[in-house]
Amino acid sequence: MTALGKVYGRSAGQFAADAVRLAADDAGLALSDIDGLLTSSGLSGGVGLGLQRDLGLRDLRLLSQIQAYGSSAGAMVQYASMAVAAGMADVVACVFADTPLRENRPGGSAYADPSRAGRGWAALMAASGIVGANTMYALAARRHMLAYGTTCEQLGMIAVAQRDWAALNPLAQLREPISLDDYLGSRWIAEPFRLLDCCLISNGGIAVIVTSAERAAGLRQPPVRVLGWGQAHPGYTMARGSDFGLISGAAQSGPAALKMAGVTLADIDVAELYDCYTYTVLITLEDYGFCAKGEGGAFVQSGVLGPGGSVAVNTGGGQLSSYYMWGMTPLSEAVIQARGQAGQRQRPRAELVLVSGNGGVLDYHSTLVLGRDP
Amino acid sequence: MPAGAVQRDADTAEFFAGTERGELLLRCCGSCGQLSRPQARSCDRCRSADLSWAPAAGQGTVISWAVVHGRAAGGEPPTRTVVAIVELDEGPWLHSRLAGVSPGSVSGGLRVTVGFERAEGGEAIPVFRPA
Repeated sequence: MTALGKVYGRSAGQFAADAVRLAADDAGLALSDIDGLLTSSGLSGGVGLGLQRDLGLRDLRLLSQIQAYGSSAGAMVQYASMAVAAGMADVVACVFADTPLRENRPGGSAYADPSRAGRGWAALMAASGIVGANTMYALAARRHMLAYGTTCEQLGMIAVAQRDWAALNPLAQLREPISLDDYLGSRWIAEPFRLLDCCLISNGGIAVIVTSAERAAGLRQPPVRVLGWGQAHPGYTMARGSDFGLISGAAQSGPAALKMAGVTLADIDVAELYDCYTYTVLITLEDYGFCAKGEGGAFVQSGVLGPGGSVAVNTGGGQLSSYYMWGMTPLSEAVIQARGQAGQRQRPRAELVLVSGNGGVLDYHSTLVLGRDP
Repeated sequence: MPAGAVQRDADTAEFFAGTERGELLLRCCGSCGQLSRPQARSCDRCRSADLSWAPAAGQGTVISWAVVHGRAAGGEPPTRTVVAIVELDEGPWLHSRLAGVSPGSVSGGLRVTVGFERAEGGEAIPVFRPA
């Protein structure tokens, strides 16, 4: 992990290279040991096949750009795992980096739709006032509220709990605890979303290295096993009867990953859930089966989240409070917990960790089940 | 209020020719007759690519909405724009602006009718108002 947050002066490509070097070093590997590379770009682009050349990697046996938006990090680990299992590659680096923040520009502007004028369907959306992801997700959340009675206060409980986790995380960008009143007092973005419903924005890069269990055993860090995985891409029909906003791909990719790992939800100790919005956490909790469909609001309102609670979710503060590196945010915290290196925020039991990745507007989903090496 | 002017492209030419005439066009399947949203490239029901254009009646129901707050600037209060997902009576969903309704009085199930507005130098775009 590079420095994350309001870090300037390096391009996304440079952050990506830095992250791969740091990951190799962390493992006790040389760059020359890497024979597979998967790259994932954010808004700024610039993290692609050229990274091979930037790092001087020779004779790669796996090399690709992966684009499944927020589900990409999970997907990269899946493809790397399959490549290693197939004997196609031995040491695969998976990297994401982005530089959406520019000095002296408000952070939110990076993700707002810039098309004040333009062509075609995207321009029609913008001209109709749907100015980017915040509005699209707000419309999804409203569907959930209308169907199940989910309230803003319930979404606020998620924001408060995750900030409490972030207070324990030296890597987090926002560590000052907040109250429900603070949440309710934060400015409207796109009703029903307030500022504190929305994730923060970060510059930086994160890489993970996937290798065989045998190889990992001899490396510098406690190995973290990839036990199960799944993907689900609903392809919502935007018409009467659609589940858009009500059920996400987590409902399919979660059970698939658990089944592959040979475990149940009850066996999971920690859940790192993609949290571009508070609402995303809520719908994922339902879809993974932590609670029944439609009862996510009551579930989070009961106070189970947060460091003192019974359900360890987003133990680093998530994208809401720690850093926004798309799917690498939940994945990195999962690895840190599974390694037992989370310091003050370490869960006493982190044998099995569930990791979600969510992209588009609930369009793309990945799940990983990771495990502490016994 | 968003001031963006939209220009047609190859994919949207027919749609905006329709809005110019005051028509809200949907995609009609030549295989099964299903009506899909204007952006569709295949039938929502049977996935056929045999789609033609057919006018919607223009009535629908609000099934979701959001109130987009613009940044406060120059001492003015922030702008508020009501946007919605409208489920047309024919079934397809449209993302659109809601006009003629105060942000606090939108509700799920609100019945709306399409109208068309044009920004300076741009295409006519659908806007919905309480029926």
